[in-house]
Amino acid sequence: MKTHRTTGHATGHAAGHATHRALGLVAVVIGGLGIGCAAALPPQDLVDARAAYTRASHGPAATANPADLNTAKQQLDVAEAAFTNEGDSQNTRDQAYVAARKTQLAEVVARTKEAAQAREGVLAGMHADQTKAVALTSAALGRTRTELNAQGVALEGETARRQAAEKRAAQAAADLAKFASVKQEARGMVITLSGSVLFASAKWDLLPAAQLRLNDVATALTKEDPLSKMVVEGHTDSQGAAAYNQDLSKHRAQAVRDYLVTRGIASDRISAAGFGPTRSIADNASPEGRANNRRVEIVVQPATPQ
Amino acid sequence: MHRSIPVLATLAVLSGCGASFPPPTQRMADAQSAERSARELGATNEPAASLSLKLAQDQIATAEKALLEGDNKRADSLLIRAKADAELAVAQAKEKSTSVAGQKAIDDSAAQKATNAGQGAVK
Repeated sequence: MKTHRTTGHATGHAAGHATHRALGLVAVVIGGLGIGCAAALPPQDLVDARAAYTRASHGPAATANPADLNTAKQQLDVAEAAFTNEGDSQNTRDQAYVAARKTQLAEVVARTKEAAQAREGVLAGMHADQTKAVALTSAALGRTRTELNAQGVALEGETARRQAAEKRAAQAAADLAKFASVKQEARGMVITLSGSVLFASAKWDLLPAAQLRLNDVATALTKEDPLSKMVVEGHTDSQGAAAYNQDLSKHRAQAVRDYLVTRGIASDRISAAGFGPTRSIADNASPEGRANNRRVEIVVQPATPQ
Repeated sequence: MHRSIPVLATLAVLSGCGASFPPPTQRMADAQSAERSARELGATNEPAASLSLKLAQDQIATAEKALLEGDNKRADSLLIRAKADAELAVAQAKEKSTSVAGQKAIDDSAAQKATNAGQGAVK
């Protein structure tokens, strides 16, 4: 026993004092150990470690965590070397145990990395979604703003047009009031011109003085809202045959209408109608009343109903 | 005689080393440090991690007894294992917290999608 112990130390520390005989014995002992180890069954720890490593090297750790898997492999190599050199020793078992744990750790870290990557992916997706949502929202806001601006411009245009039309109409009415009777009625603005100023008795040719008057009327009417329509109405007193008066009023209205067209009123805006004595505004019994009934009315209908 | 030589030699090697084995002070420090890390990372809150942690703690306790009895070799062996178990517990605790964070991200993402859809921002 004492001899063997000394031999063991000589082997471990490679002491140079050993005798020839002792060296021979060492060789025998080492040889014997080798035979003993080759015959020994691997300890359960080593069996477990090998199985764990085989499993891990075919799992996600191989790609997701090769560094820790390699560390586990090196630890398994240490355990295998211990087994080769020492057989089923406590050291072999400890190293194998550690190898199994390191293998497990490699797998756990691999799963952790994959979970972290998945989380990164989710977060990146969230970020992308949010960016997209912000972009869509701001695009929608931009569209709304553009639409609102366009509506605002259209509204301003409409308001300006209406204001201009109202201003023109007021100006036209003021101009007309200087030489004709102008009234606002339900049917529109009514400009009344005295028949005696426009026509000779029983004629429908315009008098030269009437043409001057009508020039002013035409000028005033062109200031009217260009979308408005006009009707020239001819009226007579009740003297004479109704059919004759009807015909006369029609021709007079037509003459005024045609003259106004020559003075720049668009022909599709203005029409003529004769009413004879049917729409008297004064008593036909008196000369003044009859004079008032002989008249031409120009009715300006607003473009849009009020 | 042929068979008894290896057996005797093995015994000699083992007892020879055991007698002069230094106290595994560094291994004890390493194992205790790893065990503390595992606890601080919440290993007790997760089944797999807490099992590994328990193994490490038991082995450290047994190693401490072995040291008192002067069995340094056995203490060293136990501490090697304890450190490996504690390090595994650390990794397992981290895996748990990562998967919790991952689940939270998934939940947050779903909530965000719902919010965006509700606002009509994303079809």
